[in-house]
Amino acid sequence: MRVLRAIVFVILTIILVWVLDKTLGSLPAIGRLLDPVQGCLANAEPVNYDFSQNIKCASLQHPVTVWLDSRMVPHIHATNDYDVYYIEGYIHAIFRLWQMDMETRAAAGRVSEVIGSKGFNYDRLQRRKGMVYAAENSLKAIEADPRAKLMLDAYSAGINSYIATLRYRTLPLEYKLMGFTPEPWTNLKSALLLKYMADDLTGYTEDIPLTYLRDMLPAATFKALYPEKIQDSKPVIPMGTVFAPPSLTALPQPNDSVWSHFKASDFAQPRDEGKGSNNWVLSGSRTQSGAAILCNDPHLGINLPSLWFEVQLQAPGMNVYGVSLPGAPGVVIGFNDSITWGFTNNYRDVKDFYEVHRVTGGKDKYWFAGKQLGFDNRVERIKIKDKPDYVDTVRYTIQGPVLYDENYHGPGGLQKPLAMCWMAHRATSELLSIYLLNRATNYTEFVDAIMHFECPAQNMAYADRAGNIALWGQGQFVNKWKEQGRYIMNGADSAGLWKELIPMRENPHALNPGQGYLASANQSVTDSTYPYYYNGTFYEFRAWRINQVLDTMHKATVQDMFALQNDTYSILAANMLPVMLANISFVNDKYTQKLKNWNCRLEAESKAATIFQVWWNYLYAGLWEEHFKNVPDNLWPLPERTMQLIQSREINSYCGKGNGIGTFEEVVQLSYQKTTDSLKKLEATTGLEWYKVKNTSIKHLTKLPAFSVPGLKIGGWGNVVNAAKSDHAPSWRMVVQMGKEIEAYAVYPGGQSGNPGSQYYADFVNNWVSGKYYRLQFFANTAQQAADKAKFTINFNPQ
Amino acid sequence: MRFLLHVLLIAVISAYAEWIWAWWMIAVVAFMVMGFTRAKPAESFLSGFLGVGLSWLCIALWRDSANAHVLSGRMAGVFNLPGYPWFIAVTALIGALVGGLSALTASYVRRIV
Repeated sequence: MRVLRAIVFVILTIILVWVLDKTLGSLPAIGRLLDPVQGCLANAEPVNYDFSQNIKCASLQHPVTVWLDSRMVPHIHATNDYDVYYIEGYIHAIFRLWQMDMETRAAAGRVSEVIGSKGFNYDRLQRRKGMVYAAENSLKAIEADPRAKLMLDAYSAGINSYIATLRYRTLPLEYKLMGFTPEPWTNLKSALLLKYMADDLTGYTEDIPLTYLRDMLPAATFKALYPEKIQDSKPVIPMGTVFAPPSLTALPQPNDSVWSHFKASDFAQPRDEGKGSNNWVLSGSRTQSGAAILCNDPHLGINLPSLWFEVQLQAPGMNVYGVSLPGAPGVVIGFNDSITWGFTNNYRDVKDFYEVHRVTGGKDKYWFAGKQLGFDNRVERIKIKDKPDYVDTVRYTIQGPVLYDENYHGPGGLQKPLAMCWMAHRATSELLSIYLLNRATNYTEFVDAIMHFECPAQNMAYADRAGNIALWGQGQFVNKWKEQGRYIMNGADSAGLWKELIPMRENPHALNPGQGYLASANQSVTDSTYPYYYNGTFYEFRAWRINQVLDTMHKATVQDMFALQNDTYSILAANMLPVMLANISFVNDKYTQKLKNWNCRLEAESKAATIFQVWWNYLYAGLWEEHFKNVPDNLWPLPERTMQLIQSREINSYCGKGNGIGTFEEVVQLSYQKTTDSLKKLEATTGLEWYKVKNTSIKHLTKLPAFSVPGLKIGGWGNVVNAAKSDHAPSWRMVVQMGKEIEAYAVYPGGQSGNPGSQYYADFVNNWVSGKYYRLQFFANTAQQAADKAKFTINFNPQ
Repeated sequence: MRFLLHVLLIAVISAYAEWIWAWWMIAVVAFMVMGFTRAKPAESFLSGFLGVGLSWLCIALWRDSANAHVLSGRMAGVFNLPGYPWFIAVTALIGALVGGLSALTASYVRRIV
């Protein structure tokens, strides 16, 4: 009996320990996690933690000093290129290792390995998009240049040197929660991260729904509702800029057989108004100080840890400050002691689709230019936690990977095989561009540097201490015939293939224009005098507003720039509200009273802002929903275009009984009724304040609410300059005045540390919300710094 | 007196052993300490429970106060607990249970050898 009891208790104890030491599904190993010695409490960084230390690194060449300022921005001082990137990798890993790991897994389609089958569909899509194929191509280009190769080799070695120091106790918290450990870093991972950005910025495409719409609508209607360039656009490159004559001849548009035609299928492509960005530069003629000012706020998904990490890098011939992407070396957006630059997304279409015609009977062949060609197969093995591997064969045609087919349906059950040709698949070396940008000392060197920036295409603003300003619509583009790639093409027709590349020096650009400023906010890149054809997805509201403000600004200060970056004035509201109110002039309730006294600003606490936004949404849907109910969901005419149609009264021809809806007046009235119903519900629940309704939140990458910051009291929207939507927002607000002394200010929604147990995890958020900036500490490129500048000093020494 | 000595021994040795090896050393240490002595099952359980529980509670409180509750507050949220003190309490309780069960087992095993 006693023996039995003893055995039972021994077994019970073993089971208890075993259960607490084991990850169960998505539940972490509780015992291991809660252990205060090695578990999560080991990640509780003391608030007075002293980061100063001496670290020995195996493959470092010479000693490197890192000063951490009071905001934990590292200022890395090295005596050669290898060491500076080695330490940047090491520092990125200290603060952001788990994030780097997850983002590169997300790029490569390797999320299921650590989160199990709920990541499977996502992974499969990434594989079919050819993300790893793209990264492998780019890695070859990067490693072909000795500078970029050194940069990346050093960076990876630095990360691995940090990973080698890790034990369970020192692992980032999320590894403990998710129950996996970091694997060695590789150059491919950095290449993947850059492709992850390229996908985020150039992945969106309207080719599929546009193909359907073009066939469905009369040609004139299609052109009126979906113009390639919106009228009255204030393009990135100002109107009247004289473009150099093209070195390539324009190609004739082939006959209709080059297109693919689709019938009614439901392709759900959510229109995304959020991924925008603003940048502008003012020449000295427009600033109070007489020095050029550059401003940039790229709008991206806002997460914790933030996509960005602030850093200063110093090596012989380089002293650069700005934001880096943890997972890649260098500074992406920022300034050095001579120049400053900033990016917005360019949105020219660099992703085209082709319908694949397979040879009947021969599964492994397809038709191209009258010949049968064999697919190139790429086997993708997707590892899934606690499940057997899944093997997917992705076929590649001469155009690119077959994204959708009968085994992997497109949106809405699209079964036609579609191959995808995408600039991001090409062997491009943006890293070399970053390397050169970080060292550029004047406009010529800036231009030389950006000639290697091929994808994602960016509007690159430039200013220097000599007072020059410039803006380039930069990227690698193809010399396309009219409308090439705007719709899905017939893959069997060779005329659809991408042929010559446009020499990058012929990309649209402007240097020191007469107007004294340049601005981009994802609007059309040029006026119609630009000699090469392009299409894209362009947004105009923010550009209209920025141009409106800058046009009348003559003695601009950095404070004016802060105000403009945080501006919430809605051009849409200013133009539409009078028309909308005029159509319900008989109504005089508390909502219309609020609207009549409103300044058209989407401020955080404005109730009128909510009333307008809700009303506009109902009106917009009321106008288009019925027309396009069987069509590619959400690809309605742009709000910009809708506004113009209303202003010109052309909207009347899309209203009325013949169109299945009421007259315009009736649509406005009905939309107002729906609005008041919704507003009453909102009043009873969340409240009418705009910030409560739009709920801007910064989510942790795992979506864990406890690690996220929800419900921020911030105004704005995607169509105003301060583009703070619910999960996309200005991810890095930067203002740099290039005077005798460089004055730089910035803020981002996050914190330098990726550790949820650190006081530096989200410490910039409040200032970001309230539109406040930090004065950036730009250290001189010297081996010693004044004692009050650095809060901590880390000395790295070779072993 | 002997009871207090056991509690203290378990607390100190398990903390050290965890630092060197892994968290489950608390079970091993509680078992070993109570296996070398002759204690009633209830007393044995309490020694393990209090030994590991106090050790985890003290280390957790020490780390948490230095951290101004930043991490414990967030972890409480992860486990849907109302606040950081609960997280500390749950932490100590889990350790205490493992220590207690292991010590109890030791006393039963001791009785048959």
